[in-house]
Amino acid sequence: MTAPAEELRNLAERIRRGDASAEAELVREFTQRIFVMCVVRTHDREAARDLVQDVLMAVITAFRKGQLHDTDKVAGFVHGTARNLINNHLRGESQRPRLEPISENLSQASMVKELEDAEQVRQVYQALEHLGQEDRKILLMTLVEGRKPGEIAAGLGLTSEVVRTRKLRALKKVADFVKTKMSRTQANFPHS
Amino acid sequence: MDCREANEKDIPERYLLNQLTDLERDEFEKHYFECASCFSRVQTGLSVQEELRRRQSVPGPVGSRHSWRAWGWAPAFAALVLLVAVGIWWYSPRGRDSSPQVSSSAPATHVTGSAPSPSSRTPAASLKELARIQPPPYSPVVLRGAEDNAQESFRKAMQYYLKGDYAKAIPGLRAAVKARPQSARYRFYMGACYLLTEQVDSAIEALSKTVSLGDPAYSEPAHFYLAKAYLRENDVPTAKQELQTTVRLGGSRAEEAQEILRQLGK
Repeated sequence: MTAPAEELRNLAERIRRGDASAEAELVREFTQRIFVMCVVRTHDREAARDLVQDVLMAVITAFRKGQLHDTDKVAGFVHGTARNLINNHLRGESQRPRLEPISENLSQASMVKELEDAEQVRQVYQALEHLGQEDRKILLMTLVEGRKPGEIAAGLGLTSEVVRTRKLRALKKVADFVKTKMSRTQANFPHS
Repeated sequence: MDCREANEKDIPERYLLNQLTDLERDEFEKHYFECASCFSRVQTGLSVQEELRRRQSVPGPVGSRHSWRAWGWAPAFAALVLLVAVGIWWYSPRGRDSSPQVSSSAPATHVTGSAPSPSSRTPAASLKELARIQPPPYSPVVLRGAEDNAQESFRKAMQYYLKGDYAKAIPGLRAAVKARPQSARYRFYMGACYLLTEQVDSAIEALSKTVSLGDPAYSEPAHFYLAKAYLRENDVPTAKQELQTTVRLGGSRAEEAQEILRQLGK
């Protein structure tokens, strides 16, 4: 959840004053959003993980130097930084073949992240299994086949509004299921 | 942009499908950087999209209708094999005390004393049958862009796999696993190849590692093939545990695992 604007303003100011806990809060606040943005734009989870680090470092460095002139626009600043770094990455990617070797010695941090991702994927898998077949079909047609609600409605004998409602409800069910399971997992393994 | 507009225009889904203009995309991203509800919708949508795509691109392991069709005959086949095995035993010389061949080739008392009854012999025969495996289905995935070393090794190895030359597939699969140790896909097929070439210990190691990686597309088939590996080792209790996990995961092999459990329980 994004913190209220007032808290974000304070966050930027605290980072400028050298408050390390404020930097940790910023990381917690924006990591997921930056990651999703990077995945959607690059279609590459590995690259997205690296980009998240680059974006956070760039933002924190800028805040430390007091380069955020309008403290009302913390989220906008983070988004703009992310967009620029993603664009730089994509320009660089388009100029070289993707043949980078994969390191066998993954850092502990990335191993933990992999496990968290795997846990989340497992929960999404389970959540989808709990949905009805038609709801799964609506999600498949929407998110993979890229069909519009009207097309899906025609195929399933429903109205567009019903398709929209069922799509939203199905996504919410998945989100709630994953949230519940993940919070239980984190409660069982608080240090992971 | 606000939530109402995003909802009315299906912006989150179109965002995930790259169907927005650059301007719309920027506007929506700015919005979800400040809106918990829309971000949750995008985040969940992305996870669901990736999972559904994975299901479509992995024809073998989990949840595809193709794999249901491919394995649907297995319980019936296992039952048929069992019936034939019992039939062969019943009509074989050792199976009937009155057989003239038995009485002429061996003392009747020896035959009677050593030949097991049908009820005691069936489990041993069925264990061997139940441990039998079919190679997991595999369809090459067409990748866009240049391959890295791991992908290249895997692709070449799977060409041998598709020809049924599992021993020759192993070195390439090992290279792929070495280059990308976190890939459940590479480890799963490596484990399958070990099992298909009777290297049961190596198969158990590779399949156990596949399970530990937690990729749902491969966890379920890995548990199933682990059960087969333990059956080959005559370790029925561990095989049962693996089969029970397969059933619990409720994927495409659940029914077959249930059937094997039922037969093991006889």
